[in-house]
Amino acid sequence: MTSSVPLEMQGVTKRFGFFTAVRDLSFTVPQGSIVGFLGPNGAGKSTGLRMALGVLSPDEGEARLFGAPPNINSLRRVGFLPEERGLYKKMSPRAIISYFARLKGMSAPDSRKRADELLEAMGLAEFGRSRISKLSKGMAQKVQILSSLAHGPEFLILDEPFSGLDPVNQQGLEDLIIEEHKRGATILFSTHVMEHAERLCDSIVMMARGRKVFDGTLDEAYGALGRAVLIGVSDGFDLDTALAPKGFTQNEKQGDTWRVSLPQGQDAQDALRAAINAGAPITSFRPEEARLRDVFVSLVSEAEAADLDESLKADTIAEVI
Amino acid sequence: MMRSIYLVARRDYLGYVQAWGFWLGLLLTPVLMGVGMMAPSWAAASQPTRYYTVIEDGNAFAEVLRSELDKEREQVARMTLDPLAVMNNETSEAIETFDAALDEGASVEVALERAGGSTVDLPQSDFIYVEPPARTSEALQPYLLGERSIETPNGPQTLFAAIFVPEGDGEIEYWSENITAQSLRGKVQAAEQTLTERRVFEEAGVSPRILNEAENRARTVSEKRARPPSAAGAGAQVTLADRAPFFAAVMMAFLLWFLIFSVVNYLLMGTIEERSNKIFDSLLTSVKLPHMLAGKLLAVLAVALTLMAVWAIGAAVVVNMFSSAMPADMRETLFTVISAVARPSLLVPAVLSFVLGYLMYGAVFLALGSLCDTIQEAQTLMTPLIVLLMVPMFMIVVAINDAESPILSVMSWVPVFTPFLLILRVPAGPPLWEVAGLLVLMIAATLLVLWLAARVYRAGAVHGAGVGDVGKWFAKALPGKKG
Repeated sequence: MTSSVPLEMQGVTKRFGFFTAVRDLSFTVPQGSIVGFLGPNGAGKSTGLRMALGVLSPDEGEARLFGAPPNINSLRRVGFLPEERGLYKKMSPRAIISYFARLKGMSAPDSRKRADELLEAMGLAEFGRSRISKLSKGMAQKVQILSSLAHGPEFLILDEPFSGLDPVNQQGLEDLIIEEHKRGATILFSTHVMEHAERLCDSIVMMARGRKVFDGTLDEAYGALGRAVLIGVSDGFDLDTALAPKGFTQNEKQGDTWRVSLPQGQDAQDALRAAINAGAPITSFRPEEARLRDVFVSLVSEAEAADLDESLKADTIAEVI
Repeated sequence: MMRSIYLVARRDYLGYVQAWGFWLGLLLTPVLMGVGMMAPSWAAASQPTRYYTVIEDGNAFAEVLRSELDKEREQVARMTLDPLAVMNNETSEAIETFDAALDEGASVEVALERAGGSTVDLPQSDFIYVEPPARTSEALQPYLLGERSIETPNGPQTLFAAIFVPEGDGEIEYWSENITAQSLRGKVQAAEQTLTERRVFEEAGVSPRILNEAENRARTVSEKRARPPSAAGAGAQVTLADRAPFFAAVMMAFLLWFLIFSVVNYLLMGTIEERSNKIFDSLLTSVKLPHMLAGKLLAVLAVALTLMAVWAIGAAVVVNMFSSAMPADMRETLFTVISAVARPSLLVPAVLSFVLGYLMYGAVFLALGSLCDTIQEAQTLMTPLIVLLMVPMFMIVVAINDAESPILSVMSWVPVFTPFLLILRVPAGPPLWEVAGLLVLMIAATLLVLWLAARVYRAGAVHGAGVGDVGKWFAKALPGKKG
């Protein structure tokens, strides 16, 4: 049975010996979305993506690609860029792009035509018939990206697509992803560079130590971090003592500026009003701009702390036994 | 499914044939094989003509020695006159005329001309007799050391050897400066043996004529083959057509061995390249693993078939070029030989052995390649395989001497050797149940190897298992060593 949902991961776990690379991972990639799969190195992103593609089999749970376990037919609708880049060094870019497109079901003439178009569009036309070994690393990487999307896939899975590219090429790749999205492709890409996710994604899935620590929209992610305002004061005024009785209890001094966390139900205006009422000599005021990077660091730290707690508990139980 | 297999096979095939190593192998292999086949005759032809002398009373020893030295040339002369008769162990009018002329004391050249042959094809004698320039060892020393030359039809030359044959029972002395080239000394020994036999017979009152007649009257041994009544039409005489299947089997077994040793290496190298270039994930999301393996195995088989086809066409062109010069009876014999080899009872098991043997070893090489990042790592795993592959090579040597040797029968039941040894055994006509049993064993073993190879390949390609993991797998497989 096929489904319009490109990817559903349901309680997926993968172990390698005693090491659990991915633990009870569930998320969905809706059709037409751009989803960022974020996490630090070793978080289990690549293992998760390889299970989504059926390269690895989950020990528990299920990965469903277009409504069914990954199979060669559903994989034809997918374009995949692996984290470990590699191409046949003696082949030409044109031949490689055409080869992978044909493996995905394209006819030989169409695949060659498509290869020429893509190489032209990426400014690689003059290297179309050179050997891969003669190209620069960045050029070879572009060829690999092109070979993953030459057959016009409905669903693109890109594992760390920006790594190894210079800023100009990173921008080029962002443009390409947006173009593919406009064409109608659903896109899931992993990265640990938050700026790409902030610019491109509708929603994100964050991983840390094999666990999912967040799954939602960017706004929800910023919300998860908690909102704050930055209030500048003069004469060393103690804003924490002044605001604490009014319900603003989490205040942090950063030089002449105080970072005041907003409790549930209070907004920036409430904090400003409370500070004026407390007679604070205010020199500046601005709501804090949330960054995905901060959300990421915060959530990863929480996950690591939770993991540490869990392993400490396990050690204690083991000692008791 | 077929499309994926075809695409993988096509890509790999084109990758292999576009490499310069392929063209080098294509061109150099026949050249090297030709050099190997011609080397003995070139070595013989390149040997310098040497001059010897015999110091004796009369010329009896010198005559017998010359006759001994001419024996190899006599056989060459017979081959020139009628090669088919010589190969089929038969005689012919020309050969009988030649032998009669020799018996009358004619030289090889004269006998060959008398029988209608051409002396152009006859190699020159390696050793030529010259009259002794002196009669004592002291006086001959300067000639043997090259300080003085002897006069020969080819101008002044150094004397290679001097043989002193004393009267009575004294020791024969063989003098030469060269102590490494021993063939002339061997012939001197053989000549002395012949002369002694004659002398002893004469002393016993047997005249040389009777001795000669006794030698000539010795009956030749004619080799016959027992055949079932259905094949009685072929006659009982053992001919080249009878031996052809055995030669063909040896050639085919050697070809399989050569294929595994050379062409199958492509699989190993290709897989190492894919592993080191990290292409597996891209491939595995485009093609099913069994299809990928099938494509790879087909590609290398196609490379091997290309090589063989090019060589076969080349050989056919060469044969065609010389076919006009080939006598009609030789063409007929060639046809008989081909008919004897191209029988389904020989070809079906042989071709199956060839294909299954290739698949078995090809799959092993693929699996090994998937575990290695470098050629050096592959060599670690290859060493035991190479040692294993030497066994069939020894068995080919055994089969050349006796295709029905019991050791071949026993060893053919070892699955890793079955493909080679079944090919070698088939011309000897083993029982049908045994051929069927060996084929079943071979198919089962090949399927098992393919299944295991696919698992190892998956471990290497997907999970990144390496050479170090092989030891762990063996440890796990040992009883009582789980985990």
